[in-house]
Amino acid sequence: MSGNGQDRAVIRSLPSGVPGLDTVLGGGLPEFSFNLIAGGPGSGKTTLAHQIMFANAKVERPALYFTVLGEPTLKMLRYQRQFTYFDPELAGSAIQFINLSAEVMERNLTEVLQRIVSEIEQAKPGIVVVDSFRTIAGQQRPDKASAFDLDQFVQRLALHLTTWEVTSFLLGEYAAEEQRNPVFTVADGILWLSQATDRNSVVRKLQVVKARGRAPMPGLHTFRINDDGLQIFPRIPEQTRNRAPSKRERLSTGVPGMDEMIGGGVIAGDAVMLTGPAGSGKSTVATQFMIAGLSAGETGVIAVFEEYPEEYIARANARNPEVGTMIKEGKLAVIYLRPLDLSVDEALFAILEAVDRLGAKRVVIDSLSGFEVALAPTFREDFRESLYRLVGTLTATGVTVFMTAEVSEAFSEARFTTEKVSFITDEIIVQRYIEMEGALWRVMAVIKMRGSDHTHQFRLYEVTSKGVVVGGSLTEYDGIITGVPTLRAKPTKAKRGK
Amino acid sequence: MARTSAASPARAFMNSSDRDKDTPSRNEPPAQQMARRLIKSNRSQRTEGHTAARAAASACDKLYRELSRWVGPDGCHALFTRALAQARIDHPALEPIQLHARSDPYIDGVAETIIAHGDPATAAGLEAMLVHLIELLGRLIGDDMAMKLIERSVAASERGDPTSDRREEA
Repeated sequence: MSGNGQDRAVIRSLPSGVPGLDTVLGGGLPEFSFNLIAGGPGSGKTTLAHQIMFANAKVERPALYFTVLGEPTLKMLRYQRQFTYFDPELAGSAIQFINLSAEVMERNLTEVLQRIVSEIEQAKPGIVVVDSFRTIAGQQRPDKASAFDLDQFVQRLALHLTTWEVTSFLLGEYAAEEQRNPVFTVADGILWLSQATDRNSVVRKLQVVKARGRAPMPGLHTFRINDDGLQIFPRIPEQTRNRAPSKRERLSTGVPGMDEMIGGGVIAGDAVMLTGPAGSGKSTVATQFMIAGLSAGETGVIAVFEEYPEEYIARANARNPEVGTMIKEGKLAVIYLRPLDLSVDEALFAILEAVDRLGAKRVVIDSLSGFEVALAPTFREDFRESLYRLVGTLTATGVTVFMTAEVSEAFSEARFTTEKVSFITDEIIVQRYIEMEGALWRVMAVIKMRGSDHTHQFRLYEVTSKGVVVGGSLTEYDGIITGVPTLRAKPTKAKRGK
Repeated sequence: MARTSAASPARAFMNSSDRDKDTPSRNEPPAQQMARRLIKSNRSQRTEGHTAARAAASACDKLYRELSRWVGPDGCHALFTRALAQARIDHPALEPIQLHARSDPYIDGVAETIIAHGDPATAAGLEAMLVHLIELLGRLIGDDMAMKLIERSVAASERGDPTSDRREEA
C-alpha cells in the first residue's frame, strides 16, 4: 500500500444501455454495485432492468434474471421481445432467466438465498436481476419463518452479490413512504421510477435517490418508453457544454430590409424572438432566416410545433424549392414535436441531438406558443424556467436561436411580447397590424437589441410569394402603436414594400 | 382414429408416420423436427425395454424440468396443459395421461395408455403434444427463442444428465 491513494480500488462504470441514464448517473453504473429499481406498477422497472442486462451480458460473463411471482415469465418475455434491444440470440447463453416461484412459495428466505447463490456460483454472472424482489419479502409466511429475517436476508444477499463481483438490481414496487425498508439502507444505488397523471397527460420520471461513489444529476428526469426501451431526458443538459465564444458576427435574416433594421443582422449566438398576431408572417420570416444560413453554407434545425413537418416543408418549398434538397442533403433537419405530453428536456434533447448531428449553426423554434401547448400540463407551470434552460443551453453551444411567438391582441391594444418569455431573449422584433386608408397593413419594429444599435421606427412590410419584404417607415404618422395611425403633416401615400 | 385438419401439425405428423421418425425431413415443420430430436435424444440413452412412448414421456419430463427453470413450474404446467388438450383432439389415446405440476415424473398414466392403446399410438400422441407445446411457446415468445429454450433441453438430454430422468422407475 503506498498510502497515496494510488492503490485504492477503482470503481469502473458499466454503460447502462439506456440513452441519457449514464449522464444522469454521473458516468454509468458502478461495477459490482447493489442497486434497487423501485417504482409503482407499470413504471418501467422491468424494461429498465432488461435494457441494462442486454447492454452488459456476455457469454463469458452472463446475466441471470431471477423472476419471482410478479409478472409471469412467459408474458414478460413475450412483451420484452417487442423491444429492439432484446436480442434472442443472447437468451439462453449470455442471459439466463431463472424462475424462483417454487422456492418462494414453498420454502423460506434461507432457501431462496441458497438458490440464488447456487445459480451465481454455477454461472459466474456479471449482472444479476431479481424481479420482483418485493414479492420475495411479501410471500414469507409466519409459519415458514426462516432462520433469519428480511434484514439479514438483504444484508447477506448484498454481500454474496458483491463478493461474487456482480452488479445487481433488485426490482420492487415501493411507495415513497416505504423508504425505511432495509433494502434502501443496504443498496448502493436507488433508481426511482414514477408516472404522474395530470389532467389527461401522463409524465414518466426517474430520480436517482442514491448513488454511492457517484455524483448523479439531482432532480427528476423525464423519460419515455418507446420501441427502443427507456429514453431518459436529463433535466440539466450535459455540463460539459460550455458557451462557445461569440465572435459577435452578424448573420443575415434573409429578409430584405430587416438586417438594416437590426444594425446589420442578427448577432451570432443570440436568441431572437419574433412576436406577432396570427397571420403576420412570423413563420415566413423564421424560414427565411434559416434559408439565409443554408445559402451561406451553414446547417440548421427547425423545430415545429404548430403544423406537421410535411406541411411546413411544403410551404417552405413553395417559396424556396431548395428546402427539400437541403433536408435530403442533411443540411437541414425539421423536427416535429407535438405530442401534448412533452417535457422541455425531451424537446431540448431532440433539438440538441439534431444540432450535434448536423453541426447546426441556426435553430428555429416555431413557435413558443405551440411549444407551450405541446408540453404536459405539469411543465406548463414552469414554462419560464424551462424555456430559460432550453434557450440557455442552445445558445451555450454557439447556435443562434430564432423563436417565434404569437401574441393575441385587441386591435387597438399593442402587446409587444409575451411577458412570460421576453427576458430570455437578446433580440425582440414585433409585428402587428394597423389600419390605414381603409386597409389592413402590417408593420414591424425592433424592441430589444442587446449590445447593438437598431432602428426605432415602425416599418411597413409585406408577405409576398417570395417571403417577407420590409418597406418604408411611417414617419408622417402618429399613433401607429394604437393600430390606427393618423397623418401628422402633409399627406403622403404609404408605400408598401421597397 | 385421430382427427386432423389438412394443415395441422398433427396432420403432418400423421402423414409421416410411416417413415423413419429418427430422420428429420426438410418438409417437416420445425416444431415437429424439434419434438423428434427431443424424443430421439431420450431414446438413444435408453436400453432394452424402453419403448418409443416411454422415450417420448421422458422427453416431456425433461422439457418440463428445463422449461420450469425459465418460466416457472406453474407457467410450464400451463403450457403443457394446453398442449395436451390440443393433442387429445387428434389423439384420443392420450385420455389417461395426466400432468402433475411440481412432481417427478411429470407425466403420469403412460403405462396405462400403452396397455390400452399400444406403444405407437401413445408415442404418436405424446409427440403431438410436444409439437403443440413448441408451437404454442413459439407463438408466445417467438419461434427463435422458443427453439433456443428447447434446444437447451435437448442439449441437457444429449449430455445424459443423470438426475434428469426418473421415467424408468415410474
